Amino acid sequence: MDIKLEKIDEFRWLIPRTGDMRVPGLIFSSSELIDAVKEDQSLVQVRNVATLPGIVNYALAMPDIHWGYGFPIGGVAAFEINEGVVSPGGVGYDINCGCRLMTTALTADEIRPKIRDLISALFRDIPTGVGSSGPLKLSKKDEQKVARKGAAWAVENGYGEPEDLERTEDYGTMPGADPSVLSERAFKRGSDQLGTLGSGNHFLEIQVVEKIYDKRVADTFGLFEGQLTVFIHSGSRGFGHQICDDFLKEMTRHVEKFGLPDRQLACAAITSDLGQRYLAAMACAANYAWANRQILMHWTRETFLKTLSISPRELQMRLLYDVCHNIAKLEDHTIHGKKVKLCVHRKGATRALPKGHHLLPDVYRNVGQPVLIPGDMGTESYVLVGSAIALEQTFASSCHGAGRVLSRSQAIKRAKGRSIGRELEDKGIIVQSRGKKTLKEEMPEAYKDVSQVVEVVHRAGLATKVARLRPLGVIKG
Amino acid sequence: MLDHTADLGMIVRGKDIEDLFISGAKALTQTMVRSENQRPTRETRISVDGHDLTDLFIRWLGEILYLFEGEGLIFCDTRELKISSSTSLQAIVLCVPFDPDKHEIVYEIKAVTYHQASVNRAQGGWEAKVIFDL
Repeated sequence: MDIKLEKIDEFRWLIPRTGDMRVPGLIFSSSELIDAVKEDQSLVQVRNVATLPGIVNYALAMPDIHWGYGFPIGGVAAFEINEGVVSPGGVGYDINCGCRLMTTALTADEIRPKIRDLISALFRDIPTGVGSSGPLKLSKKDEQKVARKGAAWAVENGYGEPEDLERTEDYGTMPGADPSVLSERAFKRGSDQLGTLGSGNHFLEIQVVEKIYDKRVADTFGLFEGQLTVFIHSGSRGFGHQICDDFLKEMTRHVEKFGLPDRQLACAAITSDLGQRYLAAMACAANYAWANRQILMHWTRETFLKTLSISPRELQMRLLYDVCHNIAKLEDHTIHGKKVKLCVHRKGATRALPKGHHLLPDVYRNVGQPVLIPGDMGTESYVLVGSAIALEQTFASSCHGAGRVLSRSQAIKRAKGRSIGRELEDKGIIVQSRGKKTLKEEMPEAYKDVSQVVEVVHRAGLATKVARLRPLGVIKG
Repeated sequence: MLDHTADLGMIVRGKDIEDLFISGAKALTQTMVRSENQRPTRETRISVDGHDLTDLFIRWLGEILYLFEGEGLIFCDTRELKISSSTSLQAIVLCVPFDPDKHEIVYEIKAVTYHQASVNRAQGGWEAKVIFDL
């Protein structure tokens, strides 16, 4: 399908409203990135999202947009509560897939000789890889508690400190979670996967703060150049995958009613019983994911203390922030001067609240929300801070990462005859991965240049750069 | 296999509908785990209903995925498979329990998606297209 694309300015392209689109599409990109977007089917997906009932303003896409299933990855769409829909495919199977960044009092220079030991120890202590199960075996009753309380359950059970919750989106507990709407299959898949990293693009990375762009905000975030940090990217594991699958299947019954162009866009009216049950189930998975990353952080802390033989006071591993990038949230926004409640879907997009927003914890209220953008395993990650422009233009949303440009098979072909592990070591990055093909499939060339993606977000003013982090060591599934 | 930027897709062919469904289950299994030439030791019943043939195919593959992810059982073959009116499937499937020492895991598939899924007659038989979320 040929999609008409009109350039508005340096960073914005419009898909004009045609046919059964209810609103136009709006893509944040750059002349360097937009050609790759035209090559896959992600623009058709933006167009399809624009046909959904109750959509407000635009079907949006962030600069890391790429071809997903149903919604594009990097897609943002907000729906009126009374007229609009909620779509599990607009959240994704990995509900509350997200990132967590921890700071330390250590510098990379003093730890550099021990990075290899740390990576080996983390690889031993943190369950990674396909279908990985962890040492935690939860009863159904415990899973229900995790689903209701999220990261707060983890902290109550000794995995971390109460102050960690303040630095987690939604304080680590999404309201409205109701485990009674979940299937037995969800409980079964979730019973042994809490505290596991998973596979694919999920990772745990030791990094160094290479550059500070905004000293004032960096000081508030507790970041300084040369500092050692740890970045975790993981989600709700099989528990969330099953919940999405269960509700998507139930909602496909209504595809004809909504006249959807793609069954994967299956949805339910937000106010319907099915829509409400999905939101209650999705909140359970969001909470599971927050508990998961909280536990992964706790074990990381323990591994650092043990491996480096230092005290918690010397390590000072603190949570900077935890953000989700696959979620649907009921939020207050101002549309044409009127305050309205909307259901904002972010599928591969990060919330980016400006300073002064009431949802921010006290500690960040004067600067804005930290926005964490992971690169791939060979390139930089970024810390940005949310802005008022995002609140006005994108329902307070920003990008979520680099975004793939090569399929897995293309990446494997490109990596033929090469040792990606050796190439990364030559760049000073030590990698341990469980899957044989993972390193090839996840090699840096398989992704867009995260710096270009972040530059668009920064220059379009959706979120502004605070710091750049360079990887020193990575563990992957 | 189909080339999809973020995920993984496949095209499966079968000489008839039943053969297509069995081939689909085998292809999905091979995408998840290496387990060739295993003698099945377990059998289990699967019963699924769909709105149409494509929906039934996606739901059937979803059952095979859950069998592995939820029950730790690797699909080997079927002893019986019956499809009625393109919307209902009854099967007895033969499986082997997953053993990490014997079976090498290939990909973690989060779900079988509906995105661009299709089941059609083709080349004197049947053909299905499906994309997995990785």
